Amino acid sequence: MDTTSLILATTFAPFVGFAVAMLFLHRSPRLAQAVVITGAAVALGSAVQLWLEGPVEPLRYLWFTSGAIELHFGFLLDGLNLMFGVVVALITLCVIVYSVGYMAQDPSKTRYFALLAFFEWAMLSFVYAVDLLQSFIFWELVGLASFFLIGFWYQKPSAAEAARKAFLMTRIGDVGLLIGVLVVMMTAGHFDIPGLLDPERGLVARVAPATLTAITLLIFVGIVGKSAQFPLHTWLPDAMEGPTPVSALLHSATMVAAGVFLMARLYPLFLAAETTRCIILVIATVTALLAATMAMVDRDIKKVLAYSSISQLGFMLMALAAGSLFAGVFHLITHAMFKALLFLCSGLFIHHFATNDLEQIGQAGGRRMKLTTIGLLVGGGALAGVPPLSGFFSKEEIFAALGHESGTVFTIAALAAAFLTAYYTFRMIFLIVLPARIEPAANSGGTDHGSAEPWTMVLPVAVLTVGAAVGGLWGHQIAAALNLQAPTHTLGSMLPALGVVVLGIALAWVDFGRGERVGFLSRLPALQTLFSNGWYIDTFYRAVFVRLTNWLASLLHGVEVKGLDGGFDQVGFGILRSADGSRSLQSGWVQFYGGCIVLVVGAIAVYVGMGG
Amino acid sequence: MTLEMYLLLSAVLFCLGLFGALAQRNLIAVLIGVELMMNAASLNFMAFNRFSVTDPSTGQVFVLIIIGLAAAEVAIFLSIILNLYRQRRTIDPESITELRY
Repeated sequence: MDTTSLILATTFAPFVGFAVAMLFLHRSPRLAQAVVITGAAVALGSAVQLWLEGPVEPLRYLWFTSGAIELHFGFLLDGLNLMFGVVVALITLCVIVYSVGYMAQDPSKTRYFALLAFFEWAMLSFVYAVDLLQSFIFWELVGLASFFLIGFWYQKPSAAEAARKAFLMTRIGDVGLLIGVLVVMMTAGHFDIPGLLDPERGLVARVAPATLTAITLLIFVGIVGKSAQFPLHTWLPDAMEGPTPVSALLHSATMVAAGVFLMARLYPLFLAAETTRCIILVIATVTALLAATMAMVDRDIKKVLAYSSISQLGFMLMALAAGSLFAGVFHLITHAMFKALLFLCSGLFIHHFATNDLEQIGQAGGRRMKLTTIGLLVGGGALAGVPPLSGFFSKEEIFAALGHESGTVFTIAALAAAFLTAYYTFRMIFLIVLPARIEPAANSGGTDHGSAEPWTMVLPVAVLTVGAAVGGLWGHQIAAALNLQAPTHTLGSMLPALGVVVLGIALAWVDFGRGERVGFLSRLPALQTLFSNGWYIDTFYRAVFVRLTNWLASLLHGVEVKGLDGGFDQVGFGILRSADGSRSLQSGWVQFYGGCIVLVVGAIAVYVGMGG
Repeated sequence: MTLEMYLLLSAVLFCLGLFGALAQRNLIAVLIGVELMMNAASLNFMAFNRFSVTDPSTGQVFVLIIIGLAAAEVAIFLSIILNLYRQRRTIDPESITELRY
């Protein structure tokens, strides 16, 4: 098959799956499931084939022309896109297969699988987009898909609210992104990504540094919203209201990854904008630390993972801001693997024990689910940065990049965040694997969910476990795909990173591996409260922005109801009342009418007579 | 006899008819009043024809039409009154006020 049909298969197979399932298969969820899985498998196969064939010239198709502006739809097929496309397709396929087990009992399976396929289509089209406006369109569709999926159980008010929150908060960022895209249009006159990035004729060569800073900052506002960076991060923990496989997808290869990917895609622009990179570095560092502290105290396994995603996204942006495209993309890919793995494992626990609470899962015998526990250990180890696992290598690259390019403050902050990561990850692991006491195995075994670990759910976990374990070895391929040289590290340079991981795990062991399983933070109640309330950021938003908006809305409501409605009502009632008064003139008495006619005609005659 | 005399007579006649039409409590009397007003109008036509128009037939045409019209009107009016009386046992216009709001 040639490149064109391959890329079309990659992007449109999920869309066909979505359309067929949504339009025709409402009554046959099993068939819908099969169609969507086939679509995702086709997408993965052709994405892999494209990747093996290597980078080629971008494909462009003219969409429309408006004056001097030409809008293209097309596919950009360079190393970054091809590689990330494979990651997206692989993880989505894993999640879809996993969902067969997870959502087996759900009454609206067809809608669920159709929406997953829609999500995959939007994300893949975003990844391969050649035109910045096309990117923006699919970026929005990714947001729309996650809105639908977070609010999948829309009967639950909390899920509906979480979906709305996710949509609105990412919208705040998207306004910035849209303005940024329009500024690009005004300065460059086209949206073509390779053209914009071109070193001789692109934006960097053509616009003033101040304009470039403005453009990159505006685009970064979109990234802040999408990738859940401080101060727009509060939607991501709430997004846990969706089904767990959706969280796995949302947190790894789609949605939040879109923000980081956009920055990597437009990296030359950011590289040239020094000021922007400084701001990004600060925000990303704050995010990484802030979210890590929140993850230290939450008891909900999905919330812990959500905060860790925010923190890891902060890491990626730190790396990108520090000037290392390779480190950022490397961590994006390894994080996609191990975070999807962790969410799928947590889904297995939640599915089996019907609780999100870490301690309850541990006490109910979480570690008796052998395969899931292995997945949890590998994924958690990778997240914490335990040596041979993938996360260690990508984090090491980030520390190296920070050490080279930015001040020691940021390196120390990153190490602190890595320490906290190791601590909260192993807190989660110890609470599940080494609980204070385990209830004896109920030999019922068969809850109404059937087997604890159905094969459709175990298989994706196994695939991702392998990915999370060996992903670190792909560093050189990833660097080669980006046309970069992977830096080499000596044992000495790795020591600080190793040290903080060991320290973090040791502290977690002291707190949660033995004894009464309480964190050192419980001796600092003020901090404990601060962290478990998410630094009161959400409370602040609620108290200020939400209340302000509600106040404004009720004010306008009052104006509408009392002013506008009341005014028109008064006009109407006035007419009604005057009609009521005047209708008594219509007496039905013929002679009265006759008298009136005589009077009027007489008056007219007098008037005409005097005038004449 | 001058034109003014005729017009004066005609005006008196018209006012008597108007009074009858508006003030009588009997529909037959109202009908008579309407007839009187028509005759006042006819008289006016004839007077103007006599004094100010050369062709004598102009006014006469109008008057003949009015007489014909009055005859037709009387026929209809009387039949209405007859029916009203049969149905309601009264021909007082003040008590026949059904066509109102």
